[in-house]
Amino acid sequence: MTETLAVDVHGLEKDFGAVRALDGLDLRVATGSVAGFLGPNGSGKSTTIRILLGLLRADGGTATLLGGDPWRDAVGLHRRVAYVAGDVTLWPNLTGGQAIDILGALRGDVDRARIDRFLQLFDLDPTKKARSYSKGNRQKVALVAAFASRAELLILDEPTNGLDPLMEGVFTDCVSEAKAEGRSVLLSSHIFAEVEKLCDTVMIIRDGRTVESGTLTELRHLQRSTITVTIDGNAAALSAVQGVTDLTVDGVRVSFSVDEGALPRVMTALAPLGPRGLISTPPSLEELFLRHYGVHADQAEAAAQR
Amino acid sequence: MTAVETRGTRTSLSTPGRGRVVDAYAGFPIMVRFILRRNWLRMLIWTIVLAGLIAVVVQSQRVAFPTQADRDAYAGIANTPAVAALTGLPYAASTLGGILNIKLWMTEAIGLAFAVIFLVTRNGRAEEEAGRTELLRGGVLGQHAYSLANWVVTAGFSVVIGVTTALAAIGQGLPADGAFAMGASIMGVGLVFIGVSAVTGQLAQTSRGANTLASVVLAAAYLVRAAADLQADGDNPSGLSWASPIGWGQQMRSYGENLWWPLAISVAAGVALCAAALLLERRRDVGEGILPDRRGPRHASALTMTPVGLTLRLQRGSIIGWSLGVLVGALFFGTVATAMADLLAGDNPIAQAFVGGAKDVVEGLLGFFAMANVLLVSAFALQSTDTIRSEEANGRAELQWSRAISRTGWALSRMVVPAVISFLLLAVSGYAIGASFGASVNDPSQGGRFAMASLAYWPSVLLIIAFVVFCAAWLPRAASAVTWGAFGVLVVLSMFGDLFGLPDWVVGNTPFTAVPRVGEDFSAVPLIVIGLLAIVFAVLGLRRLRIRDMTGA
Repeated sequence: MTETLAVDVHGLEKDFGAVRALDGLDLRVATGSVAGFLGPNGSGKSTTIRILLGLLRADGGTATLLGGDPWRDAVGLHRRVAYVAGDVTLWPNLTGGQAIDILGALRGDVDRARIDRFLQLFDLDPTKKARSYSKGNRQKVALVAAFASRAELLILDEPTNGLDPLMEGVFTDCVSEAKAEGRSVLLSSHIFAEVEKLCDTVMIIRDGRTVESGTLTELRHLQRSTITVTIDGNAAALSAVQGVTDLTVDGVRVSFSVDEGALPRVMTALAPLGPRGLISTPPSLEELFLRHYGVHADQAEAAAQR
Repeated sequence: MTAVETRGTRTSLSTPGRGRVVDAYAGFPIMVRFILRRNWLRMLIWTIVLAGLIAVVVQSQRVAFPTQADRDAYAGIANTPAVAALTGLPYAASTLGGILNIKLWMTEAIGLAFAVIFLVTRNGRAEEEAGRTELLRGGVLGQHAYSLANWVVTAGFSVVIGVTTALAAIGQGLPADGAFAMGASIMGVGLVFIGVSAVTGQLAQTSRGANTLASVVLAAAYLVRAAADLQADGDNPSGLSWASPIGWGQQMRSYGENLWWPLAISVAAGVALCAAALLLERRRDVGEGILPDRRGPRHASALTMTPVGLTLRLQRGSIIGWSLGVLVGALFFGTVATAMADLLAGDNPIAQAFVGGAKDVVEGLLGFFAMANVLLVSAFALQSTDTIRSEEANGRAELQWSRAISRTGWALSRMVVPAVISFLLLAVSGYAIGASFGASVNDPSQGGRFAMASLAYWPSVLLIIAFVVFCAAWLPRAASAVTWGAFGVLVVLSMFGDLFGLPDWVVGNTPFTAVPRVGEDFSAVPLIVIGLLAIVFAVLGLRRLRIRDMTGA
């Protein structure tokens, strides 16, 4: 592959005492793209991000951030990175405006015009003391500081935690704008709609390990689509087609799920039955995600072990 | 039932009142138990400290002034402006009870005032700010039940302090009528400040604001009575004294005339202020203050945007507070040194402990005071440097370390501030001790001598700073406990090591006792050794901080 990577992580490992937080995690963010990082609480998202920021040191594997070593080159790299944590703690006796300036100055760029624009977008009053801010407003302070910066890479760790739906919309616009400016974004989240809307690529992690990664389209190719169709003929003919499962018949309406590879055969079998109103539904991100968790995942694992 | 409901509906639309009066206090007994449960240990510690101090001080004064002749001699010189301004008029200075009043009454009264301010705010405004009051008020809890329970419990605590301090004095053989008047006068100050903090808890929106406002009132009360005591006619203060709640306590003249009627003023003021607070509480929403939350600047100043500037800005209040405290202490030390030395006869064991290697009692006492002053400055330096750990524990270090600043640079910015400020504090407070002592012996050259002697302790302060960094880096979770614990041991060893009969090599080789005192022969060797140790601890600490994982609380 010739495309450059803003973040490139291979086989990352991290132990906290006896607890294995990361167990061979892989992660890539192509330059100029938005990458979604999905996983439930405790799956290792924040640990990975803290290693990328040089706050924690990896026990194994490699991590490259904007071509540098996140641990060794931390200070230099941080000039080019903006980070928003999922739970922002501010200095209670400073105002939000002061905190934004200080965070900018610590990175090395304070662009007051840009700051004012994002303050307006996020509808944040910068003259209030941080102690009187709600959770969502503290989050906005970090978001304004990050978006107003000229950082090449935005690392956002569940950034919309505590934001109302209106502000989530503003956030979505800001990420799109950042992408249009050619910046790269690593977005850790467990809000599927957000990731589906924003991200070019998606990684799903479980227990410190990447279980799925690629573009949303690629991921969908690997999974079965659901097809619903109205036919004149006898649905029994379909059940014989290899690759068709979960066939249900409700009068003239038939629905079933099918592998990508079996589609041509299915179409051939369908044609003589006089199909009308065919709807093909690709799996949603939520379905892709849940496949790796909960009851489904446990069954799959049990089956694999048998 | 119907009548009540109709009335409730009507009033909620037309007036700020709410249904039946008793409803406003529903849940009061539960809240009393709740507050006692959350605060009993705090109150117990305050009680032990405030009552224990009485016993300790009576005993030490009995040793210092063993005979009536000693006490009469003391009474003859006790009435100086410094004593009047700081602790009040010495009206019964020839009795042990009167001497106890001079030495301790003001400390007890102000101690209790701060205790009730902190307690009332902790259970009132701080709970509201944290959102827990909302949680409780969402249940079956009357509008005023929590506040009233808070004030009642704190008032009970003040009564306990009044009784235990009186009993402690009686236990030390002081007359009961004087002891109870003293206990009641201290209690009275507490009751007034329950009212004051009840009101400030309604006015301010934050616990910090409530504590600050109440402390300002306390400071004003102290200054007003100081002015009244300075304008005294003999041992009777000017009428201005009646304008201060602390003055009301002083006017009970415990161990002197033992007047009880001024207590009625204190009780009435406390009750009136609490009633005013209830009226304010009726008029406001949960979580809101009567005074608007002050706005702050929209942008950070250029200075605040530098790491050192940010440290200075965050610690501004603390630095100003410590500086004032250290300066007042230094002026006090310098002023009382000669008076104290005159009183301490040469063969007195306490006097001998002070002399040490110094030429005479005055020099020994001044050396002791200079070191006590250095310990205060060191406590400031410790507290300031300790933010290296607290910023990491509360998550703000993550905010800063993920920016373009190295951890070493960041930690250095937090070491430079206490290092430089403590240098200035040592110089200024040392000069203040010397100058105020010099004023009493007509020797203006003393200021410079004491400034230099204080600065000799600067490497010791740097060692404290370096040790804090070392602990924060190597033992992050235990750092605060270890550093404050070690410092506490150092303070006791440095100040009272001789009195415990510990071996000389222990007492003489702590970072503070190894430094030559004022009046002793100067040697640079201990300063160099301490300075080198500071560098070693700082380097080991900074290296470790750079290579370890960020560690949360």
